[in-house]
Order: sequence, then structure tokens, then C-alpha cells
Amino acid sequence: MSEHRSKAAELYRTWGPAVYRRCLRILKDQEAAKDATQEVFVKLIRDMSKLEDRETVLPWIYRVATNHCLNQRRNGSRRGEDFEAPPLELVASADHDTLPDRLLVQSILSRFDATTQTVAVGVLVDGMEQEEVAVVLGLSRRTVARKLARFLDLARHHVDRS
Amino acid sequence: MTARCPSDLALERHLLSPEGTALIGHLAACQDCAARLATMQRQGDDFLRFVYPATVEAVEAAAARPSLALAWRRWFALVPALGGAAALLFFLARPQAPPDDYLGTKGGGPLGLAVFVQDGPSPRLARDGEPVPAAAALRFRVRIARPCHLWLLSVDARGQVSRLYPTAGEGGASVEQSADLPGGAVLDGQPGPERIVALCAPAPLGWAAAESAVRASLGAPGPDSVRRAASIGGLPAGTAQDSLLLEKKP
Repeated sequence: MSEHRSKAAELYRTWGPAVYRRCLRILKDQEAAKDATQEVFVKLIRDMSKLEDRETVLPWIYRVATNHCLNQRRNGSRRGEDFEAPPLELVASADHDTLPDRLLVQSILSRFDATTQTVAVGVLVDGMEQEEVAVVLGLSRRTVARKLARFLDLARHHVDRS
Repeated sequence: MTARCPSDLALERHLLSPEGTALIGHLAACQDCAARLATMQRQGDDFLRFVYPATVEAVEAAAARPSLALAWRRWFALVPALGGAAALLFFLARPQAPPDDYLGTKGGGPLGLAVFVQDGPSPRLARDGEPVPAAAALRFRVRIARPCHLWLLSVDARGQVSRLYPTAGEGGASVEQSADLPGGAVLDGQPGPERIVALCAPAPLGWAAAESAVRASLGAPGPDSVRRAASIGGLPAGTAQDSLLLEKKP
């Protein structure tokens, strides 16, 4: 069992920085990111063999950490906790130049399922190509495009109403 | 950042293996991305300096906690039936799926049990009485002639009976057809014989009755008792059984 623990520590040292950066990117708070990193890694370490596969581990880490931290943002906001994550920073792209401001995107995010949230964050915040998001989520490129289109439609609808 | 700038994930890949990505040229030409990369490196350093020391213990503890592993991806653990002391077997990791060509290797009886050992790059079918690494990872598959209520358990030289599948509930798992059993298990690293037993009852069979039957058939605990206990008596009429002996070697 001690071998198990030391292996976990080694994997944490290797992959923890990627988890921490992901959490910091979404939560924008060092203390919240620290807690989230530990929580995410406790999830990841349940499948230790997957963490040892350097070829596939990064997209998996990205997906799990993104889902977890988006949940943290949403739950913290719902509970009215002291920590409220600052707005996500959107990347510049022709696809969403007409999108409303960051706060609006953030409020719209919470109306979607976890997969759509990850798609939207991947494309709009992280600047990922849709194909890259598709690989991360194990979806087809067409599904990613459809989910993003639905998200953008709702965002535009909110802009029109306001 | 322009539309051509790499994503965070691409930069993570670059940090992991700079020579394996095609970003070197872009990073040399794009100040924004070079700055992003530097920030990411600094955040990684912060993790190692501040976050890792403060949280590694909790991660280690989670990794060592069998209950966490149990719930993940339908693994099942080898749960000691005798109060938890000196656990016989414990969950560790998920071996690869067994090959598909094994069915029939145990003959044509009403119940066939196949045990796969993961001690190399791919799982291999274990033969009865075969020496295996004392901490080998195992997977199981059953072939049944008709739907039944299945128990998978193990017994060792100390007389400890461990409940392998299902790990929860009473009456055994209702099994409709031959199948890989979800999950896998890892032997406890203690040298000695270990017998894996499958019981397939026509009606729900309580765990206590299954365990009691195995104990009675084992008699006095000891290595030879385990080796001899190929047949379990005292089971309800119509209960099919199969077992396989493993010799755990250091």
C-alpha cells in the first residue's frame, strides 16, 4: 500500500501542475485553485493506470479539471459564497465577435450541461479548435459544432432581448 | 492572442515535451504566447513550491483508500469477509480486458470460471494450480448455461473467505448470460495458495450460506486444505460451481 501512496505522490508531482494551471485559469484564485487541484487529483488518482499513459492523459486531465472547476464556479455562485470567481476571459475570434460581454457568457454557461460548458469554454476561453475540443471530449466534430452553435444562439438571443 | 495561437492544452503538451510539438517557431515569433508559456511555467513552479507540499498527503491517502477505487469504472474489490484484518486481497488497478477466445477452456459444465492474470503486457488465462505473482492483478469471466444468482469468492490458507463479487447486497448477483465480471482485483502479495470459487444458484443464495459452505468444505485452514477444496458441499440443490487454484509466489 505504501508503494501505492508513493506512486500517487509521483504522479501528482508530474501532473499536478497541469491540473493547477487549469483550475487557476477557470477559478482565477490561488486558494480556490489549490483546493480544486487536490479535489480533481483525488478523482484522477482513482484511475492510476490512466495517469501513467502519457499519450492520453492530458486531454483527460483537461476534461476532468474543467468540469470540476466550472462546477465550483457555478456552485459557489449559487450558494452566495464569499468566493466568486472573476469572469472568464474570452479569446478574440471571428466566431464570437458579436457575443455579449464576459459576464453574460458566464451567466449563460450555467444554463447548459457540463459537456456544452466544456465545449464553450474550450473554444471561447481557451481558444481551442473545435477538432481539439472533440478529441478532448470524445465527441465528433459535428457534435461539438452543434453544441457550440446552440450556446452561441442562446447568447445572441440574450443580447437581443437586452 | 490570435486565432492561430495555440490553445492552453497545446501549450501543456509543449511543456510536457517541447521537442514533440510544432510550437517552437510560433513561440519564438509570438510574444503573447511566449508570455503565456512563461506564466504557465511559473504557475507550475508555484504548484511544486506551495500547493504540492500542502496537499500531497491528502492525495496519497485517497490513493490508498480502497473505497475510492471501488466505485470507479465498475471495478469491484476483494473485500475481506472476516472483519477486515489482514486483508486477503485488495483493489489496485484495472488490468486490460481478457482476450475473447477463452470460452470453452473450462469444459462444458453449467458454470465455467476463467481467471485472467495481468502480469505482462496483456492478460493471460490462468491454469488451475498455476504459480502467479503474489500481487498479480486479476480479472474474471464466467460462462453460464442458464441465468442464476452468482457469487465469486476466494479462500486462502488462513481460512479467510473473501467476498469478491458482488461486493454489496444479498443473494448474489443476478446473471443472465456469460459475461466478464465488472472490474478486477489484485492479490494481496502474501505467498500461498488462493482458491477462487464461483457459485451459481438457481435462487438467491445468501452470503452467509455461501461463506458457511465454503468454510465447511475447507475444514481446518491450511495450504493443503485450500488445494483440496475443489468441490464445495452443502449448497442448495441445483447450484453450479467452479473454482480455480492459484499459487501465489513472491
